[in-house]
Amino acid sequence: MRKKSFLLFCVSCLCALSTVFGQSIIVHGKVQNEKGEAIAAASVKIKLTNKGALTNDQGEFTLNAEKGKILMISAIGYEQQDIRAEENLVITLKEAEAATAGTDVVVTANAIRREKRTLGYSAPIIKSDELMQGQSTSPLATLAGRVPGVNVTSSTGAPGSSTRVVLRGGSSITGNNQALIVVDGVVMDNSSEIGGGALTAVDFGNRGNDINPDDIASVTVLKGPAAAALYGSRASNGALIYTTKSGSSHKKQEITFSSSNTFSSILKLPDLQNEYGQGYWSNSLDDDGNLISTLDPRENGSWGPAFTGKVQEWGQEVDGKRLTKPYSALPDNIRNFFSTGFVTDNNVSIASGNEKASYYLGLNSTNSNGVYPGDYDTYNKYNVRFNGKAQLSNKFYTSVSFNYNKIHQNQFGGGQGGASVLDNLYQTARDIPIDKMGDLNNKYYGYGYTDANGIPHDDQFGFYGVYTTSPYYILKNYKNNDDVDRISGSFTIGYNPTDWLNIVERVGTDFYSDRRRLIEPKFEFFPIDPGTSGWYSGADVQNSNGSYAENNITVGEVNHDLMITASHEFNSDFSGSLMVGNNIRQRSYTNDYTSTNQSSGLILPGWYNLGNTNGPVYATNETSTKRLVGVYADLNLAYKNMLYLDATARNDWSSTLPKENNSFFYPSVSGSFIFTELMKSSNIMNVLDYGKIRASWAQVGNDADPYLLTTTYQATSISDGFASTQFPFNGTPGLQIGNTIGNPNLKPEITTSYEVGTELSFLHNRLSLDFSYYTNKSKNQILKIPTPYSTGYGYKVVNAGVIRNRGIELSLRGTPIKTDNFSLELYGTYYKNNSMVLSLMDGVDQVQIGGFNDMAIVAAVGHPYGEFYAVTNQTDGKGHTVVNPKNGIPLQTPDAQYLGSYNPDYQASFGGKAQYKNWTLGFLFDTKQGGVFFSRTKDILDFNGTALETGGDRNPQIWPNSVINTGTADQPVYEQNTSAKYVKQNYYGSYIPAGMQVIDGSFVKLRTLSLDYRIPAAALERTPFGSMSIGLYGNNLFIWTPSSNQFVDPEMNSTGSGNEQGFDFSAQPSVRNYGVNIKVTF
Amino acid sequence: MMNKIQNKIRYIIAGFCCLIFLGAITGCSKFLDVNDNPNNPGSSSPDLLLPTTQVSLGIAVGNSLQIYGNVLGQYWTQNPSSSQYKSIEQYAFTNSNFNYPWMFLYGDALVNLQLIINNDNGTDQDQQYVAIAYILKAYGLQLATDAFGDVPNSGALKGTGESSPTYDKQQSIYDSIFKFIEKGKSLMDPNSEYLPGSQDLVFGGDMDKWAAFANTLELRAYMRLSQVDEAKAKAGVAKLFASKAVFLNEDAELQYSTTGGNQNPLYINMVGLGKTQNVVASGTVIKAFKRNNDPRMFALYVKLSGRDTIAYIAQGDYNATEKNADGEDVAKKVSPPSSLVAGNAQDDKSAVAPVLLISASESYFLQAEAAARGWGKGSLTAEALFKKGIEASFDADGIGSSAANYIKTAQDAVFPGKPTDQIKAIITQKYYAMCGSQGFEAWTEWRRTGYPDFFTKSATAQGQDFPLRFLYPNSEVTSNLNYPGTVPMDTPVWWDK
Repeated sequence: MRKKSFLLFCVSCLCALSTVFGQSIIVHGKVQNEKGEAIAAASVKIKLTNKGALTNDQGEFTLNAEKGKILMISAIGYEQQDIRAEENLVITLKEAEAATAGTDVVVTANAIRREKRTLGYSAPIIKSDELMQGQSTSPLATLAGRVPGVNVTSSTGAPGSSTRVVLRGGSSITGNNQALIVVDGVVMDNSSEIGGGALTAVDFGNRGNDINPDDIASVTVLKGPAAAALYGSRASNGALIYTTKSGSSHKKQEITFSSSNTFSSILKLPDLQNEYGQGYWSNSLDDDGNLISTLDPRENGSWGPAFTGKVQEWGQEVDGKRLTKPYSALPDNIRNFFSTGFVTDNNVSIASGNEKASYYLGLNSTNSNGVYPGDYDTYNKYNVRFNGKAQLSNKFYTSVSFNYNKIHQNQFGGGQGGASVLDNLYQTARDIPIDKMGDLNNKYYGYGYTDANGIPHDDQFGFYGVYTTSPYYILKNYKNNDDVDRISGSFTIGYNPTDWLNIVERVGTDFYSDRRRLIEPKFEFFPIDPGTSGWYSGADVQNSNGSYAENNITVGEVNHDLMITASHEFNSDFSGSLMVGNNIRQRSYTNDYTSTNQSSGLILPGWYNLGNTNGPVYATNETSTKRLVGVYADLNLAYKNMLYLDATARNDWSSTLPKENNSFFYPSVSGSFIFTELMKSSNIMNVLDYGKIRASWAQVGNDADPYLLTTTYQATSISDGFASTQFPFNGTPGLQIGNTIGNPNLKPEITTSYEVGTELSFLHNRLSLDFSYYTNKSKNQILKIPTPYSTGYGYKVVNAGVIRNRGIELSLRGTPIKTDNFSLELYGTYYKNNSMVLSLMDGVDQVQIGGFNDMAIVAAVGHPYGEFYAVTNQTDGKGHTVVNPKNGIPLQTPDAQYLGSYNPDYQASFGGKAQYKNWTLGFLFDTKQGGVFFSRTKDILDFNGTALETGGDRNPQIWPNSVINTGTADQPVYEQNTSAKYVKQNYYGSYIPAGMQVIDGSFVKLRTLSLDYRIPAAALERTPFGSMSIGLYGNNLFIWTPSSNQFVDPEMNSTGSGNEQGFDFSAQPSVRNYGVNIKVTF
Repeated sequence: MMNKIQNKIRYIIAGFCCLIFLGAITGCSKFLDVNDNPNNPGSSSPDLLLPTTQVSLGIAVGNSLQIYGNVLGQYWTQNPSSSQYKSIEQYAFTNSNFNYPWMFLYGDALVNLQLIINNDNGTDQDQQYVAIAYILKAYGLQLATDAFGDVPNSGALKGTGESSPTYDKQQSIYDSIFKFIEKGKSLMDPNSEYLPGSQDLVFGGDMDKWAAFANTLELRAYMRLSQVDEAKAKAGVAKLFASKAVFLNEDAELQYSTTGGNQNPLYINMVGLGKTQNVVASGTVIKAFKRNNDPRMFALYVKLSGRDTIAYIAQGDYNATEKNADGEDVAKKVSPPSSLVAGNAQDDKSAVAPVLLISASESYFLQAEAAARGWGKGSLTAEALFKKGIEASFDADGIGSSAANYIKTAQDAVFPGKPTDQIKAIITQKYYAMCGSQGFEAWTEWRRTGYPDFFTKSATAQGQDFPLRFLYPNSEVTSNLNYPGTVPMDTPVWWDK
């Protein structure tokens, strides 16, 4: 604190000096076209300086400038115009025949606005109208397919679900790989804390999705570390720079109201067989060698006899009677279980201002009820944003931004076990009308019942299955409630003592609490069936000890930046600026988890309080603080609007590294060359309007997580993977040494990147192209490497490992048709990233980054990041499967095999916008090709005999194209298999290895489709509305997958937005969203 | 003039900028000094580590080794209506199956024992803890080598000091075991004023009992070498008896409670698996019990309702046929083990079943074998010790009064005349005594002696040989540079001749 007040003191000293300077005025201006329509995002720049502004949606800007200085105003599609600075300006730009490209203004690091042409690195900008095209409630998901180099994975696409954004492959082996999120210059925490246990993940979303998309004016994607060097450590994975809307300084108050009503339905469900019903085969064959299967009414599996259509009894005997139904398939019993989700999203914004001050106030509510039946899976978010700025005197200006989020949600766990709706739903036989069994008061469907004599039996159940629980019971009784309250904001004070000097001090904070209450019911139910049916017995008990847990997480971050920029015009061709700055930041984190006794659960059913614990309460808590101090400098040089050079340097001191290593320095250099400036008189300019080449080199250092330097003790707790033994042990206290050996000599990680690229614009700017080639290499990675337990420890912290990402990015944008009434704009992107783990540590070939028992997701030397590693079926190397000569079942590989990475080979997108009079049609397709993913959905459907591939002939059969090894293991001799027959139930039920559940993750999606109608201004003349538009939209609308993926949307993921991707551990299904929205301004 | 002033101001501003950065840098070191972990202590003391090591050994013996031991020892077999342990019955071992027992031994028990030993600064306060630590280290190491064969020892438990511990020959590990036992015994002082008291969960700080434990462990370890190095085994046993060693006459056990997180480790595991009954009675032991009309089977297994006998299936026959060998209709309905041995998932009393590190009956049977072999003898004859072993077993099963009748009538309770027959009788009786409670030791003694001689291959073994060792865990395969390669599960360990 002492230091911060010192800095403020310095600032105020500088204030005192301010009176010495003079002549500066505030320019309020409006930029419009010849029809008088506002031009948004036009660039206003003081000639030969880096100072400038960008116009808002109303075409307005405010700028401090010395009176009489030349302002250069430019916008895409218009001719540039120069004008002398006055207090009030209205600038009318002429539509250009050959407009100048490269004049877009982008917001770069630390909220610095720069002209795109000056940048030596790729920094595409996406504007509000494109972001809002599909009305996605996620400000991150909406980036998919917009620019190359961005890999967005949207999990379910439902409001509140996780979205992962990785730029250029990421740089870290076990650390964070997601882009840094910055809102109005303030870093926003993007944690993703998955709830639930290891195999029952509950996705509570990632905090980056808390931004209200409607508040966003634009987002700049700073893909490489070059762009983001000024953010230091955390920007080694690139950054997403969000700019929120601001008030208009020049116009009457404007109120905008928009409302969207969205319907959601399941995007992709597994393909299922419709030939066999519940039951199993128990090893016997009839005289013809065909299976004799048993119909067992308790079974969840569909390995029973073929359907006959005959009406027969099913389920339990209740009050002397069993239900009847035809023994035939119900093709839609799973699909019809789901209902249509509904999201209503309402926004009101008020923007207002005058010469001295302006503000923007945005209010948003999002209320969602997901696709599970009933109103259990809910997500409600409320958001308030206030952005204000004011001119205090001629020299000072301030701005304040404030954002408050409130989220209340209830989510369901995926994965396996009693709390997973999907796991229990998918284990439903093909003839069970699960979609019609929602009435838990129905004695055949529910739990607890009242018999014919009116006697209640709270400990008996009537549901047919004994190995699964009714998904409706789970929805009603299990809860994962979550409340998030988040405040973030910043305060900026700027001072222009003189024309060439600008001082900005900004203090930002981001604080939230995330409070979870996790409920599992306690029950013990026996079948109602008296046992006369011969199936149900007292042994078919369903029970759970129940549990109640509270998990409270707080994250608090404070960021201070002081930036002093001096600019100088050396002569009429040559200008430059130097910025020096200081950053101080602190992040504090707490995580308290308290639950009822972990092995004995609750005492009384239905009472969810820690007082109801059966045995000692289990509690852990963790708190951490991390601090960082940095100084940085940024030098910009410009020559003749043609050559630009940008050099940055930063030194950080981090609290998490040992004192002798805690200071680290990293520089960057980038440059751009507008070569078309040299060809102004050439005929080429008739075709090529604008050409730029750029190059950059950058390094970013990164520090460690807190407390990795020492090995510590902890209260003893020993887990066997299913349950744990806790100390105090019957009153005796105990400590054990921690599992991880700390490293007192830790060094910072270093990421180095190179990038070259070009931007070209052809045919009067009707066609533009942007291409980049980059390579990023990260070394000295801070890793927790597994050590053999024979050392006494499971892990050690080391600096090791090199990971490299190389790739190309291409985007094309064209306007093939442009008339007065009709225009068509098309764009496409292509992005290919090759990641490669070059080394880890001597003797360490791979590090596991996710997965479970038999299936690992690893970073392995010589393989791309995120490779699947599992045992799979053996082949002879010629595409034939090697089977066991005894049972005809494929043999498994003796060792785990590398089965491909979750990272796609390439990504591409194709989108467009057509405008006809007041109608606008927008669409976007995107694709990822070549990645793989693990599907436990496939696994469970195979095991259960419901997957389509388990259907068809189930009698003993020869595995297609199989061979038998008649030699030895070392010297195999393969002969065609003509005799060894396998049985599908044996293979899919017991022998299928985890590697066979890794399938092609390629897909093509219709990501967004929208149709908007803007009511003509003339029609609104006598109404209170300034403008009005209505639209139809959809996102995540259709998916096309290869034929090998008969199961799920490969984007769905069980573990949120972490590094463990491509992991469908019975994850929530993804949804398509479509609806209608209306937007009016007053 | 104006220019000069402006220049001056420039300097002043530049000066201020410098000051700001200087301030930032000098304030740094204190501001950044926040990396002391507030969540975990940096040091511990032996009284807090000892109970951890004992409970860890309890989990190793009572959880993983108990399941593998009782299945491979043919007391228990996979329940036809569940599936958790099918791979054991199929003798389909994979490295990752053995991650947990290895971790419990090295990562929980041995490392914390080593820290007690390493942190010994020679003060009287620590000596009795160090003594117990040496004994328990010998105990844990024997479990590790009996299960896995050659294992890390001399280079183990050193953290980053030796990141890839080398594997020592089992022979040298046994030498270390004897050395650790001697070292521990030499430090013991029952009259010390610094006894561990209630922090010692096994004997409450009674060093006389620890001496008896150490002697019994030493006897067990020497006896293990009977087939591979008879001379050494004989000499060691003789020396032990010559020193007038006192052996255990009570169970060395860990006790559990119904308190959540403090229950029997096998029961806790079953609770974690949703109280699924994964193991049921194996025909191998039940048929032997029935031959001898042994009442212990009703203490160790649960009768199904409406049946007056224990229903079983043949070992590994979970794909069950409708009827077992006795013609009983058993498909999917087989007797589970009782709560006495923590094997009954549905019976809450399983929570309080003790885990036996060394049982009293085992102590008697070891002494009986020493006497029968003529290697060492106290005041009792081999036959007397044999009977005391049976009685101790009946006592442990809560049916002590039935022992006399059993000894009188059961064919396997007859103590034969020929020494080789005596050893068969002793080990076979030890096998009955360890049913359900000491499965790993029973399987290990079967590997050493071949008794009992009525094991059957698992019905689902698919032609594979009996497993004779565990596979090294996956964590060693993937992270130990000195990993010696996986030894097949049907290769005997060194002492198994």
